[in-house]
Amino acid sequence: MDAQVRSVLRRVIRRIPNKNIENLLKKWNCLSTDQLCALDYTRPKWMIVELVASFCEDNSLNLKQITNLEMMYHIENPDQGVWHACQLTEAQDDAVCVDLTQFKEQFKAHLHGVVRHISIKMKKHEDEAIWIRIAWGDNFSKPNHLKPTYVVHHLHTSYVFISNLMAKHKIFLCQALVMATKHGSIKDGHLSTRSLTGMRELLLRRYQQVFPNAHSSILQERNTLPSHPCIGKEHSGHEDMRHQMSCEAFGHGPTPKLETAVYRLETRYRGNDNQTLSDREEFFRGVVRFSSSSLLDSLRHCVASGMAEGPVTPLLSAITQRGRNYFVITDKGPSVSSQASAQRA
Amino acid sequence: MALLTPFSKVPELNTATVLLVENEEELQSKLANALVQYKKDFNVNVRLARKLPLPVENKETRPRIDLIVFVVNLLSERSLQSVESSLAHLHSDCFLGKVCFLVTDARCGSHTQERLVSVRKLAASHQSPVLCAEHRTVDGVNAAAVRLLNILKVSAGMSPIATTALYLSSLTRCSVTSDLEED
Repeated sequence: MDAQVRSVLRRVIRRIPNKNIENLLKKWNCLSTDQLCALDYTRPKWMIVELVASFCEDNSLNLKQITNLEMMYHIENPDQGVWHACQLTEAQDDAVCVDLTQFKEQFKAHLHGVVRHISIKMKKHEDEAIWIRIAWGDNFSKPNHLKPTYVVHHLHTSYVFISNLMAKHKIFLCQALVMATKHGSIKDGHLSTRSLTGMRELLLRRYQQVFPNAHSSILQERNTLPSHPCIGKEHSGHEDMRHQMSCEAFGHGPTPKLETAVYRLETRYRGNDNQTLSDREEFFRGVVRFSSSSLLDSLRHCVASGMAEGPVTPLLSAITQRGRNYFVITDKGPSVSSQASAQRA
Repeated sequence: MALLTPFSKVPELNTATVLLVENEEELQSKLANALVQYKKDFNVNVRLARKLPLPVENKETRPRIDLIVFVVNLLSERSLQSVESSLAHLHSDCFLGKVCFLVTDARCGSHTQERLVSVRKLAASHQSPVLCAEHRTVDGVNAAAVRLLNILKVSAGMSPIATTALYLSSLTRCSVTSDLEED
């Protein structure tokens, strides 16, 4: 094992937290049972790293197996790093006929053609997701395995999820994806979170959506706590209506886990009380940022408890309806009373 | 504009009804549970509302209200504003001993002191008492419930002859002393 492989191995093992490492090593199946038993997971991390590194040297493992371990860890724990969503558009007629092998061949062929040194690994997970790990090199240097890009795509959907991609490699990846999936172009999805599961749930609509209908059947499903018969609520009708509105906008049950929503304002200042800022021609540029450990839950609670007045403003409901969390808001038209609308940047 | 009047309905036997008005709707449910579960010798009905005026649909089914409690959370500006706007919907007869103010978080921070002064001035101008409650522990909620029950008993006319709601309110009403006025 040469120095590069050793450093990659050390980094991979160091990054895996102790609670996952035992199961991962067993699943990896590259260490013998004696070696696995010899590992004591209560020791400090650096000891475990040294032990595993020496076992791998003894077994003369190669880079491929080590990157396999890293990929397995990422597939099982996808919610780390920052993920960005992209959307494929202009599907060609035979886009639906693309199957897995075709996609793999096309993708690899294109990237190998444009980048001299590159290492691509693809895996298909049981939930129909294709995981791709790319280590980029260039004309002179070997692929850098310390900073790989991860791409997740569900075939026949138009969404691609990307993590850890550098700007200079973006064009190559986008071209390869567009060619392999037989689409016309790819564009930025304006959605970025730390949680891949949350992003997938939101875009692939895997959360429990509520559609407005005349019967409001969600009111019966709602498990109101059995309250004492002597306690009566005056505004129960309003409360139910607010609950219905909040669930229509943000879904019922557990919501996809988003952390932030960012609104970039390019509008004119419209307050009454500030002489210096109003009546100006140029835009009052500002950024409004909502942060929470689970943003959609917080927004839903705001609406349901009446903290935010209903009906839900389209600026907030656009997060779920359009599946994005970065918006640029511009003024439409010259009149002061016009509504600011959320537009695609 | 329909005002909430205290004497427009017939009272029920051995029953008192209290209306808890709170903008945030968090303390009122805990208080309601404490009120109905406390051991006492008369029935208590609790009505929960966010603000006044109350919905017209419920007018027929609503029992006679003996005590109206405005719950003000001193950490929120909106709480006090909502109470001030709700006061306009009460008939003036209600202020003869049937209104009470309950404030929470009176010990947290500096803004709460100013708001407490405003609440006390408001209560003094309406001849009503102000209670301070601690709502984060079960004991605090129970203590507030016991105090409310004592006032409720008098407002509903269930205590011995000499004590009427009007008499009690003249004893317990909030007074704004001169040093507060100077602030």
